[in-house]
Amino acid sequence: MNDTFKYIIKRILQTIPLLIMISIISFFIIRLSPVDPLAELKLNPSVSPATVERESKRLGLDKPIIVQYGKWAFSFVKGDLGVTSTGEKVSKKLAERIPNTLLLTTLVILLTWLVGVPLGIIAAVKWKTPFDRILTVLTSIGMAIPSFFFAVLLLLFAVKTGWFPIGGLTSPNYSEMSFWGKFCDIAYHLILPVFVLFTISLAGLQRQMRANMLDVLDSDYVKFARAKGLSEFKVVYKHALRNAVNPMITLLGFEFASLLSGAALTEYVFQYPGLGRLILEAVLKSDINLVMASLMMGAVMLVAGNLIADILLILTDPRIRGRA
Amino acid sequence: MLLLCTILCKACLVKDTPAPDNDLKFQTKEQFTQAYIPPKNVTIDGIDYLQSQSPVGKFGGEFVSSTIGEGPKTFNPFNSKDATSATLSGIMYDGLLGTDPISGQPVPKLAKGYKISSDGKTYTIYLRKGIKWSDGKPITADDVVFTWKDIIFGGLGDTSLRDSLYIDDKLPSVKKIDNFTIEFTTPKPYAPFIRSLTQSIAPKHYFEKAVKSGNTAFDTFLSTTTKPENIVSSGAFKLKEYVPAQRVVYERNPNYYEINTNDEKLPYMNKLIYLIVGDLNNEVLKFEAKELDVITLQGSKVARYKTLEPHSDFKLYNLGPTTSTMYLSFNLNNRKNDKGKYYVNPIKQKWFSDINFRTAVDYAVDRKNIVFNIANGIGSPLYTPESLNSIYLNKNLAQYDKDLEKSKELLKKSGFYIKDKKLYDKNGNRVEFDLLTNAGNTEREAIGVMIKQDLEELGMKVNFKPIEFNSLVNKLVSTFDWDMVIMGLTGSPLEPNGAKNVWLSDGRLHMFNMRTPKEGKKGILPWEKELDYLFNQGALATKFEDRKPYYDKYQEIIYTQKPMIYLYSPVIINAIRKKYKNIYPSSLNGLTHNIEEIYIDE
Amino acid sequence: MIKEILKALWKDKFAKIAVIVLGFIYVMLLFADFIAPYTKDFSDRTMAYVPPSKIFNIDERGKLSKPYTYNYIRVFDKDNLEIKYKFDRSKKHYIKFLSKGQPYKFLGLIPMKRHLFTTDNDGRIFLLGTDINGRDVFSRLLFGGRISMTIGFLALFVLFPIGLLYGGISGYFGGKVDIVMMRFAEAVMSIPSFYLLIILASILPPGMTSTQRFMLIVLILALIGWAGFARVVRGMVLSIKTQEYVQAAQSIGASKFRIIVKHILPQTTSYVIVAMTLSVPSYILSESGLSFLGLGIQQPDASWGNMLKEAQEFTNIIYRPWLLTPGFLIFVSVLAFNLIGDTIRDILDPKSKKQGT
Repeated sequence: MNDTFKYIIKRILQTIPLLIMISIISFFIIRLSPVDPLAELKLNPSVSPATVERESKRLGLDKPIIVQYGKWAFSFVKGDLGVTSTGEKVSKKLAERIPNTLLLTTLVILLTWLVGVPLGIIAAVKWKTPFDRILTVLTSIGMAIPSFFFAVLLLLFAVKTGWFPIGGLTSPNYSEMSFWGKFCDIAYHLILPVFVLFTISLAGLQRQMRANMLDVLDSDYVKFARAKGLSEFKVVYKHALRNAVNPMITLLGFEFASLLSGAALTEYVFQYPGLGRLILEAVLKSDINLVMASLMMGAVMLVAGNLIADILLILTDPRIRGRA
Repeated sequence: MLLLCTILCKACLVKDTPAPDNDLKFQTKEQFTQAYIPPKNVTIDGIDYLQSQSPVGKFGGEFVSSTIGEGPKTFNPFNSKDATSATLSGIMYDGLLGTDPISGQPVPKLAKGYKISSDGKTYTIYLRKGIKWSDGKPITADDVVFTWKDIIFGGLGDTSLRDSLYIDDKLPSVKKIDNFTIEFTTPKPYAPFIRSLTQSIAPKHYFEKAVKSGNTAFDTFLSTTTKPENIVSSGAFKLKEYVPAQRVVYERNPNYYEINTNDEKLPYMNKLIYLIVGDLNNEVLKFEAKELDVITLQGSKVARYKTLEPHSDFKLYNLGPTTSTMYLSFNLNNRKNDKGKYYVNPIKQKWFSDINFRTAVDYAVDRKNIVFNIANGIGSPLYTPESLNSIYLNKNLAQYDKDLEKSKELLKKSGFYIKDKKLYDKNGNRVEFDLLTNAGNTEREAIGVMIKQDLEELGMKVNFKPIEFNSLVNKLVSTFDWDMVIMGLTGSPLEPNGAKNVWLSDGRLHMFNMRTPKEGKKGILPWEKELDYLFNQGALATKFEDRKPYYDKYQEIIYTQKPMIYLYSPVIINAIRKKYKNIYPSSLNGLTHNIEEIYIDE
Repeated sequence: MIKEILKALWKDKFAKIAVIVLGFIYVMLLFADFIAPYTKDFSDRTMAYVPPSKIFNIDERGKLSKPYTYNYIRVFDKDNLEIKYKFDRSKKHYIKFLSKGQPYKFLGLIPMKRHLFTTDNDGRIFLLGTDINGRDVFSRLLFGGRISMTIGFLALFVLFPIGLLYGGISGYFGGKVDIVMMRFAEAVMSIPSFYLLIILASILPPGMTSTQRFMLIVLILALIGWAGFARVVRGMVLSIKTQEYVQAAQSIGASKFRIIVKHILPQTTSYVIVAMTLSVPSYILSESGLSFLGLGIQQPDASWGNMLKEAQEFTNIIYRPWLLTPGFLIFVSVLAFNLIGDTIRDILDPKSKKQGT
């Protein structure tokens, strides 16, 4: 147990230099931009030059880039993410959006696991049968539709049938609903975006599970179990399954990463109040503080996702500890 | 987008209704036979109410509208720098005066009346007696004086209103006469002033603390995180809930000062909801799915709804031309930057500064097909900087069609010649330049593609480049390194003075010949000088008839000098659910200008 | 080995179809200039948003005829505020094969005027209707496809050498070099790729020519993908470098760079091939997503993504379904790539091979 604990601590500490590196990379990428962050203010005739001047000072645009980074990093650590180009607190905006994005991605991950893992197992068991092949093709189809296009079509479907709401997360009278009403309302709004993301991410997981399962089924101890005369059912579900799922946990982090990216376009089309849509809007307006902070938050979420996956792996698979 | 001031929409002296020539038939008659009767002042038990003269309706229900973009940045009406925030905070705070939806004249709101002295410098405002803020405290002259003296003239928040009121470097003064009378005095007679009285009035007891703590504190005051129940307001609706990136919900203000003819307090509806939608497309989908009750339709979508209308639960209204204009502009800048480099390549400068060249470009533009393809026929070609519904529109300026022969003739006159279908200037330089617009705007991109083709028929080489909006703006207002651009501006149909930033030679949006503050009025062209004169005189004259000639002349100058070539103006068509009654469409204020009078009758 | 792969692909039913479909698409794109009746910029603005041309080969008297089409005329119906399209029956436009039309350069080299099919000078043939500017959607699909379908490969050609070398060096040297290099790669990987993509695309300097923009987008796509690839290569190198022949090369004093390039990296070929086919579709999707947001290929250039942007409008989907064709093509080609990728993976994976036998 002590070892495990040590390893976890070590793993957490490792993320610190990683985060610093990420912040440097993202900061410099953004500041290389030739775009003037105050352009929007400048064109607004109702904003006086004095205001523009004040904004420029506030953003520290007159200082050298290293100083700007230092300033930014220092306040980031303090939890102060600055203000957007329109004067709102960045931390507030992020706090509004991150839970929504987490809700969406966790739901999708849960669903893909619930469906993808069994499908992977079946495909592996029925390896090289038409069933396996058709399953692969079906998941490939899901993977091949551009997510935004799929989302647009689904919205059209929602309009035509009236079965689903047109984007958003809650209904206008949400605040007056009972707890269950609220729960159902959110679930109702989540169906379509979750469905889109589920469709595009199912294939990857199913394939990975299938491959792992095939590996395990091919291993010596499974052969041994078979030789012992255990029923095929027992061999597959008792011995092989456990060993095939373990490496999947590492994948959790990566899945989270790709979802976070994939969600941006889906959020955009569905007008979902998540981080992806926020960063898109911020990018289009070159809102430096906001872009920087959401990029960092995305990265932090991703690093945290990987961390959690690693920790889970250690807890379930003691062999790793030795390697560490 | 490009907002040329919502504030300016509230600005001017006026006479008659615009109703421009519009060859669309469906300016339906019924729509204008039910004339809107504006509310009247009545006094009951010593309280000066405003009494709606429209039919009495039923109470209850809600109305769902939408706002495109990211939603409000603030609920502080004195600090709203974008159109969405201005609209959404404006709902909560009434001004002393409003604008008549039909005539565009100032009408009473918080003030029951006003008087302008004979010298045109003193404005006496009579406030309603006995009316209250949403928290029950009385609205008095102190609130008005506080708003104007401490907030507006004090330079807090958004200073554009103050900036526009400087007359000879002096601001108007404001004085409390008694608890319900206020007096404003302008240093000189200044016509646009009366319009500025539509500015919201702030409750002193609620704003005072923030105002005292200075500019930075004021900027964060009434931010979007303010608890709705703490907000003290005066509008027909008060804030109930704000859900970021989703919606803003208002509920009726029981203390509102308007009543119906049964002496019952308005508004009729319980809730007013603004959904925050990311783009036009999503808005249409939401309307289609009945999540929205009202929508502004783009040309391409009108046909569908027109066909559906007879069997549906909504009705279309034609509100006439928009107040926004779309134009093609040349960079006439012939100066050098700090490093001694020309902003515009001198070879190109020669073309752009040549009136024949500009006119040739103008005659090559195919406005007819722009209207057809971009607005699906629902719009009109535009030739002047004033929008088609402007009361100052100069109707004497003739319209003309695309005429390539005329273009070629003009180019020839200036020594341009064509060889191998390529156009060269008299010094043998190939005519080639960049045409910019902001990327992501399908409309402008399509126009750009058309204009590129039109000009290439003349042998010019046009590099059409849609670029990111902010970079484009940066080029236009600070680096000046551009050749030609397609942009749009929103003006006011009532007050041309609002666009002075664009036309004054040292204006901050004088894009076609932008000067740095250091340059001042350097290199001013004769007709630019005349524009300066016209705009200064136009603002100082007080009567509509006196002002009109100045603004007619300015349009004529732009029309002949063509620094900006105006392209087209779409017609606004709105759809609203039929269950809403008391709808009196106004080409100036839209469909829901009388939101407190609108009720539901299924 | 390539031969072997192709053979196996041909054996698999789905993969065979996929190969044929992709082959067909690429041939069409290669000969786009010849096949398309118009250039990508040709527009007839009086024919904006017209539906696909109807081609008749039995005339109004019921007689068989050479195929012909009518032009559309556009009428604005003022009462319904609607633009209607009618056939201009006053003139038949016969379809001509291999006849002269818009000039172009065949394969970018030989100036030519003949097109696969066209019609007379004042006639218009729009197989898939037109867009808002009256440009032929069919022609633009072909020219846009050239961009959409090559951008992924180009990005791969940029990122593979980088990834290989980076991973190779990191894995071979090990130790501190390895730690520093891998931490850097991880940092890049830890930034959500789509976020990074849109940020990079949005800071592209404005006012570039379309070729420059295209190249930069390729570069951006490559910048995002290299790190993940490098990491896997490094893992493979770690195991390869312990093999005897590498140690043999070391003992005869070959330079480290030479060992990496000559002895180690070639061992990763099979992985490279799999990774290549598997990642092409994701680049096609990324490009379309970018262009869809208006951050990728810009008007007046065509790509499937930016053509699809026009199709996202509700009324366009309902009334002008021909604008959806780019979406369909993206779907088909990505699917085909995926099916091929799957099959190749099965072939190359030694374990499944073992099981198969």
